[in-house]
Amino acid sequence: MHAFLLNLKHLLFPAAVHGWHLWVYIAGAIVVGIGALFALMSVPPRYRKIVVVIITFLGGLYFSLEFLLPHGGHNPVAGFANDLTHAKPSVADAALIIGSFTLLLGTSNLFQIHGKAVRKKTAGWGNSLAFFISFFLILIVGFLKDAYTPTGNAPMGAKGTVYTEIFSVLFNGFVQNLDAAMFSLVAFYIVSAAYRAFRVKSAEAGFMMVTAAIVMLGLVPVGALLTNWLPHTGPLASLRLERMTLWILTWPNMAVQRAIEFGLSVGYLAMSLRIWLSLERGSFFDRQL
Amino acid sequence: MTEFANPMTYVVEGVLVFFILWKILSARRGRDLFIRRIPGLSVLDEAVGRATEMGRPMLYVPGLGGLDIVGLQAMSIMSHIIKRAANYSTRVIVPLCDPVLYTVAEEVAKDSYSTAGVPEMYISDDIRYLTNQQFAWASGVVGIQHREKVATAFYFGWFAAEALILAENGQMVGAIQVAGTPSIIQIPFFLAACDYTIIGDEYYAASAYLSREPTLLGSLVGQDYCKILMMGIVLLGVIGVTLAGVKSHWLPLQHVLQHVNYVFNECFLKYFARSS
Repeated sequence: MHAFLLNLKHLLFPAAVHGWHLWVYIAGAIVVGIGALFALMSVPPRYRKIVVVIITFLGGLYFSLEFLLPHGGHNPVAGFANDLTHAKPSVADAALIIGSFTLLLGTSNLFQIHGKAVRKKTAGWGNSLAFFISFFLILIVGFLKDAYTPTGNAPMGAKGTVYTEIFSVLFNGFVQNLDAAMFSLVAFYIVSAAYRAFRVKSAEAGFMMVTAAIVMLGLVPVGALLTNWLPHTGPLASLRLERMTLWILTWPNMAVQRAIEFGLSVGYLAMSLRIWLSLERGSFFDRQL
Repeated sequence: MTEFANPMTYVVEGVLVFFILWKILSARRGRDLFIRRIPGLSVLDEAVGRATEMGRPMLYVPGLGGLDIVGLQAMSIMSHIIKRAANYSTRVIVPLCDPVLYTVAEEVAKDSYSTAGVPEMYISDDIRYLTNQQFAWASGVVGIQHREKVATAFYFGWFAAEALILAENGQMVGAIQVAGTPSIIQIPFFLAACDYTIIGDEYYAASAYLSREPTLLGSLVGQDYCKILMMGIVLLGVIGVTLAGVKSHWLPLQHVLQHVNYVFNECFLKYFARSS
């Protein structure tokens, strides 16, 4: 029995597959996937939900046991936990494959929206055209770059080198810089948001403004300079701006953050539990499958 | 044994799970449960009404997260908002960053319009997948805010540095903004830029608050019991550690402190040893 289980494990989770074995595994995975889908669709709706409930429960049980059971050592429990951990990459791969399929659906949604804009020439259709051009440009160049990977001593101007260069211009020159430009806007938005937030409209707002002023001053050299006349030791040293800043950030601020984190983790636990045990209600959880 | 799964982890987690399940079951048996007012969620009707009056669409942004607990909660809140918007024939635009969540959002939106009795109101173009790149997605959302001149913007989900970009642009187009995120770092930005912000575990309380469904309300009350337990553990820890640091030259007090410290250490503190 043990040998059979071991063989089954090696068959389902092989260390590495090469050559024609790889194609057999791919074909097998497709056949099993389509078969499972048809089997699920052919189950009557009221039983379909039970199947989903069982799969959800088993999935949750796998991750709970994998995390909670003690690892290491040579007892059966530790051995079981180690096996669960070894299976983790395969489970993660399954999630990745499902995610890849949905990426196609997302792309088709993009094509649908921008295609309609170009066809009907709605306002800003040029942007939609730019989307198609950039999408296909980076897609084609990306494929060509990988197809003609240059060797270490390839001369400049060789096919592979040219595609790599074009890809580099598109990705490093455009995508990354546009990303950085967008991120840099945060600095300006912080100023405008802070301006509104620090207007003293109530006692609480005033208290927040004073606290924020202390923290901001305490984090810049000029702040330290302002209270530099105070001694470095003794009771008066606590009034130095950099000390007050450190105290505010380390004690009251940290305490509040941890309190929020406690609440959040309990909420997370409750919702995880409801989903794991299929107790969740509302939106798509109640509907007939 | 791993760092986290020490025996006390099993005990505390077991008690937390017990509280939640116990209150869910008692709520399902018909116990009447109280839930306090959450301003950020009570304003929902006002926000929907404003968009209806102005004849402009609403924006629901579920953040950067994928199909995890945070994302599922975002979908749950979205479902309630779409149902309310459907009653007033107001459009809701949902720009998504994660392709898996996009497929779920489509189904949730279809389902919500059907439940509200107006399946024809579902427009596939309103549930939009933009990109999975953080700032490219953010610029896409900002574009929608300005082009569609949204009257109301909801931000519920996992957000990072783009939170302020979205909220400030929402402010620029004059949208009434409601936000909620479990990302602690982004809460101050939303507080500064949005009209209403729900904080911390209020995010997970939203679906219970909006639906008043007994299972969810029971779970919420169970969460409160869990928080009381955790507060108790923290309080005992603070007392124990503080007493351990108290020194006295008076002999009788020294003996008392020694005994108290011993009891605290043997019965409590050693089970919650610091992991570092």
